[in-house]
Amino acid sequence: MSNRFRSTIAIVLAIALVASLAALGGCTNSEDNTEGTTGDTEGAVKGGTLSQFIVEPFAITPTLAYESEGIYIVSALFDSLVEYDPITSEIGPAAAESWSANEDASVWTFKIRQGAKFHNGTEVKAGDFKYAWERMLDPEMASEISYHLLSVKGATEMLDGAATELEGVKALDDYTLEVTLVEPYPDFELVVGHPCLGPLPKDAVEADPKFDENLVGNGPFKMAEPWAHDQYVKVVRNDDYYGDEPNVDGIEFKIFKDAETAFLEFEAGNLDFTEIPAGRLGDVTAKYGASPDGYTGNPDEQVLTGPELGIYYANINNTKPPFDNVKVREAICLAINRQAISDALFDGSRKPADSVSPAGILGYEPGMWPESRYDVAAAKDALEAAGYPGGEGFPTIKLLFNSGSYHDQVWQLVQADLKTIGINSELESVEWAVYKDKLKKKEFDIARYGWVYDYPIMENALYALFYSTSADNQSYYASAEYDAQVKKARNTLDLQERLAGMRDAEKILGKDMPVAPIMFYSHFDLTSSRVNNFRYSPMNIPDYSHCWIAE
Amino acid sequence: MLKYVARRILQMIPVFFGVTIVLFILRAPGVLPGDPIEMLTGDRVISETTYNQLVSKHGLDQPLTTQYVTYMKNLARGDLGQSYKKNRSVTEIFVEKYPYTARLALAAILIEVVIGIGVGIISAVKRYSFWDVAGTLSTSILVSLPVFWLGMLMQILFGVYFKKWGLPYLPISGMGNPPDLAHLILPAITLASVSTAYVARIMRSQMIDVSQQDYIRTAEAKGLSGGAVVRRHSLKNALIPVVTFIGIDLGAMLAGAILTETVFNWPGIGYEIYLAIIARDWPIVTGGVVIVVIAYMFINLLVDISYAFLDPRIRYGGEAA
Repeated sequence: MSNRFRSTIAIVLAIALVASLAALGGCTNSEDNTEGTTGDTEGAVKGGTLSQFIVEPFAITPTLAYESEGIYIVSALFDSLVEYDPITSEIGPAAAESWSANEDASVWTFKIRQGAKFHNGTEVKAGDFKYAWERMLDPEMASEISYHLLSVKGATEMLDGAATELEGVKALDDYTLEVTLVEPYPDFELVVGHPCLGPLPKDAVEADPKFDENLVGNGPFKMAEPWAHDQYVKVVRNDDYYGDEPNVDGIEFKIFKDAETAFLEFEAGNLDFTEIPAGRLGDVTAKYGASPDGYTGNPDEQVLTGPELGIYYANINNTKPPFDNVKVREAICLAINRQAISDALFDGSRKPADSVSPAGILGYEPGMWPESRYDVAAAKDALEAAGYPGGEGFPTIKLLFNSGSYHDQVWQLVQADLKTIGINSELESVEWAVYKDKLKKKEFDIARYGWVYDYPIMENALYALFYSTSADNQSYYASAEYDAQVKKARNTLDLQERLAGMRDAEKILGKDMPVAPIMFYSHFDLTSSRVNNFRYSPMNIPDYSHCWIAE
Repeated sequence: MLKYVARRILQMIPVFFGVTIVLFILRAPGVLPGDPIEMLTGDRVISETTYNQLVSKHGLDQPLTTQYVTYMKNLARGDLGQSYKKNRSVTEIFVEKYPYTARLALAAILIEVVIGIGVGIISAVKRYSFWDVAGTLSTSILVSLPVFWLGMLMQILFGVYFKKWGLPYLPISGMGNPPDLAHLILPAITLASVSTAYVARIMRSQMIDVSQQDYIRTAEAKGLSGGAVVRRHSLKNALIPVVTFIGIDLGAMLAGAILTETVFNWPGIGYEIYLAIIARDWPIVTGGVVIVVIAYMFINLLVDISYAFLDPRIRYGGEAA
């Protein structure tokens, strides 16, 4: 089953990739390779240490890491059961050689690769996955990312403290892992590709109280020394690795407080991968050259602006009048000039959002939200249909966002757009803590919101953000029709039918417009002129194994 | 003298309780907006179960008074608690970082003392000379430059361009591994810049002031050489306001230097406390403030004691201090 699955995914992804690349004006060879693509590795040389800018992570252990900084390090140190291709996000074997599901995709069996070792020399066995997953669900750890495992039978019971063992996960023998789910979930094979769902060596974890800062993993790199807080995390090549041996000797994740300082270090020749400072895309591209596909960095093709799987949107409080009126939400959706926002802040590199599912995701189709476009006349009509001709009688609303970053500028533009159709608004620029507080207490009209996908599946956002009982549903949209459609699609076995079902769910959203999509995130990053074939995926995971450094 | 010192140290106790109580009041619901547990996950919302687990893990379900008593008990054992956000012990964070902050602060104070006082003396002794004008002018400029701007300017010049031109260049961020002097130069100059200018100006005006005093005229009348007058009489008497200023400044620097730490990526405590305030990570905020307050009070005490050496008329420990 999984092979059929994977080849179908591969074909669809290849088509989507070619289409999106054609749209970008680039060209590349896309090969259908279930082992994962390696990029153009011709002329690869060994040696050198890659240095990368990160901010101080909250955690670098797979049990707790949730931000991209932590996940960079986790992905270098650990291999999950399957792994995502850095360009297509297609899955291929990693710690598991093969896998299969029962007929309704509620029980999954993973064959663990024999002979693969942890960095301390012990062999990776099925039980190490069970241990790692149980650690993530342990109430003592209080992991914020335990949601990854909620589809597994017994996960909720463990979180609640009602069970001390993860009932749904069994090591049938050293090399066979059986996972029983709460309900059929054909996309589960994509969930287990998340870098934080790798195995942990129980003995090493229990022997070292500081294990989470000096990790022992099973990935292509191992830690050179414990995490030096606010300074660096150093990893070196794992010579005992079962897969493709990395070309670089190691990676130094240099921790900076400020991207501007990191950029100066980049200019001084001391960094290989960093962020582009806001507003500098134009001159940086002129100097360093754009990457043709937006994901792969090579000398003179160093600027990466490929779309990411993530969305920035205006979160509308659906429970509060007048926003409970769909025509009002439609007017807001039509009033926002998304291209102008992208042009003003990101030199046009971020794509205007035409739904909540980004173009790079499997199953995407343009035009699922017909009203997610810029049309002032239609917006005025919608506002009139809602009973507020020219904005007459419409209350002055508040636009809530956390100050700093680029949000202030985005919302000034949105404010001006709303003014054009007759809606007066005030900017409510508050610090992060206050922003979170107001969202939680539903004390907002329209608020900034962002979502980055955990797995390359439409359902990841459609379920989390809009299912009526989901904790992440911050627009408080509730539709029985939508809930039923998402749930049905989620359980559908056939890939094409499932994707069609997800699109149907998205179209219900397109009709109800619970939020106003603004733009899809995209990379805003830069590689140095000595780095070749550095691939930074749409899911923000760099491929450290196939890049190389040429002095 | 000893009695005076003992009294000053005893005075720290009520200040300490006052500060910690105020910091705990800030935690009470409704005093400051923001929930520290909600701060932990970025845009993502945590489930009710995880939320409750985190609340009880950090003892936030206890009444504030109980939390305070527990905190004090732990503090007596040198335990400043566990950061909400960082999964680390606060004691460990400060034990690691305080030496970095002290390193930067002491280097900056050294520059302040040597260059600030030096320029001040030259300006005062060679009044209205070329050097005086140059000193006064450059200190005026230095005082008005924003610290982060000066820092970035030096980074670009000495780090990026000097390297490009093939000249000896300086590292522009971090402390070095292991920490070295080269990494200390630019951040220390940046941190010291404004204060050095102040020290030079205070020193100059004090020296000029003192040089018009009767006892200087007496010393000159006795036939002492100009150099000896400056060394033995005017310098010592002019130093009191300068020492006061440097003391206050050192206290401030030991509380961390957010701008310099940010620009030069120095792993000090200023930025740590700043981030903790934003994230409502109370254990780090409370622990940091307690340490900073104690350091500040000790330095003030040292400054006060130094007065007695600079001016023998100042006596401590008597009936009237």
